[in-house]
Amino acid sequence: MSKEEAVQIIFKNVSKSYGSLAALDEVSFEIKKGEFVFITGPSGAGKTTILKLILGQTSPSKGEVKVDGLNVSNLNDKNLPSYRQKIGMIFQDFKVLPERTVFENIAVALSVIGLPESGWQERVEHVLKLVGLTRQANHFPSQLSGGELQRVSLARALSVNPKIVLADEPTGNLDWDTSDMLMELLEKINKEGKTIIMATHNMEIVDKYKKRIIHLEDGKIKEGKDSKSK
Amino acid sequence: MNTHFKTAWGYIRRSPFQALAVSFVLGLTFFVATIVSVLVYSSSKLITYFETRPQVIAFLKGDAEDTSIAALQHKLEANSYVKDVKYVSKEEALSIYKEATSDNPLLGQLVSPSIFPASLEFSVTDLSFAQGTIDELKKESIVDSVGFTAALGGEASLNDVISKLKTITTYVRIGGITFVGLLSITSLVILLVITSMRVVGRREEVEILNLIGATKGFIRRPLVIEAFIYTFFGCFIGWAVAFIAVLYLSPSVVTYFGEIPILPKDALGLFELFGIVLGIEIIAGALLALSGSLVAISRVKKVR
Repeated sequence: MSKEEAVQIIFKNVSKSYGSLAALDEVSFEIKKGEFVFITGPSGAGKTTILKLILGQTSPSKGEVKVDGLNVSNLNDKNLPSYRQKIGMIFQDFKVLPERTVFENIAVALSVIGLPESGWQERVEHVLKLVGLTRQANHFPSQLSGGELQRVSLARALSVNPKIVLADEPTGNLDWDTSDMLMELLEKINKEGKTIIMATHNMEIVDKYKKRIIHLEDGKIKEGKDSKSK
Repeated sequence: MNTHFKTAWGYIRRSPFQALAVSFVLGLTFFVATIVSVLVYSSSKLITYFETRPQVIAFLKGDAEDTSIAALQHKLEANSYVKDVKYVSKEEALSIYKEATSDNPLLGQLVSPSIFPASLEFSVTDLSFAQGTIDELKKESIVDSVGFTAALGGEASLNDVISKLKTITTYVRIGGITFVGLLSITSLVILLVITSMRVVGRREEVEILNLIGATKGFIRRPLVIEAFIYTFFGCFIGWAVAFIAVLYLSPSVVTYFGEIPILPKDALGLFELFGIVLGIEIIAGALLALSGSLVAISRVKKVR
């Protein structure tokens, strides 16, 4: 694999403003395929904005964001969905569908990517086994704990076999043990070759798992922190 | 079961009263539409009946020869303003008379075929051609006299009856179509309201689906299917109630109107009529559901 091929995500002089508020200011970095990267920083530093830019949820005010050689800002309504189908996303507030069972929450992602219904059972069972929720397959979200909900979110993200997993404060609503369990899972997935980008301000997690860190403050990458702390 | 259909069914089950409200309004719309369609059909049949029944009778002289009668019949048949030419012999005229006086058989026994003139009966394609045709006919040597159908009392009376029927039919059509139009608009507005409520209620779900890469079509499909379920349910219920009502009333109606074919007299004809009405209503319902749901989705998205 050449150096160019190994780079999966490129941020080149990216700025993003919401009105007069600058969320990101001239941010540049690269993330290689199969990397596990923490994006850290205080609230409002621009962590979520970076994930939103990768997902195509918002466009940069300046600069360019490239994922697998594709300029994300150039994606239109027609090809944005297929791009997003290749990215798994997990959220601090889980974002599970409250009126659907665990099985259905995962099946809906498979339905979105157009997988025939006959293949759902096997795929859902596989990811539920991976996150340890096999017994809860027919439970509704209201019957699950925070940690279980986050694992549903992760299972849904993994079900579509994404190249990249984005995690926005996934441990924000979880206790230490549950957070640790989730991190083990993310690490396991990373070892399978998936790129993981996790925004967090939980420094205990960051210190324990020792991955590359992109540290943001006031929308800028703080020099010296963009390094692998391992 | 299709995943979008399952999703749509789930929405309906979660809000049964909304579903009932919209289904009942659509049911009422299609019920009225079916009844108006039947009324339009019946009134057309009524007018056609009066317009096409034998209106002119040319009574022939007693000494008219068969060849002359046949020649006149051919001449009439060749006239584009004339249709349904029929020769009634003296014997047939007697039998018509006997049938007409069947409640008093003595009257029938007192007459012989010789006192009844043979005649040529026909209709005109439009009553405005009647007078000219009659005038021409009167010039024929074998024609004794010419008159309009006796039961209707002459040209003035027939014109009057048809004119009144046409007026009534026009009112039925305009009134019915206006009423159906108003109900259709009401149904469309209710569909818009329900679909808009669904979109607003599903805001979080739509957001999640967007983030996991769902296309616009994927997100919209359950809402459109839901509108189709309401519309087809309403269409079938409205049509079925109207059909049952017409089936129940048809024996009395058919008896009352006698030989006038205001409704198909055989079951097959009635099923065919209602089948056509159902087909048209399904197409109208599909357009209603599609336009209602898509307009609602686009409006809610624009406002947000």
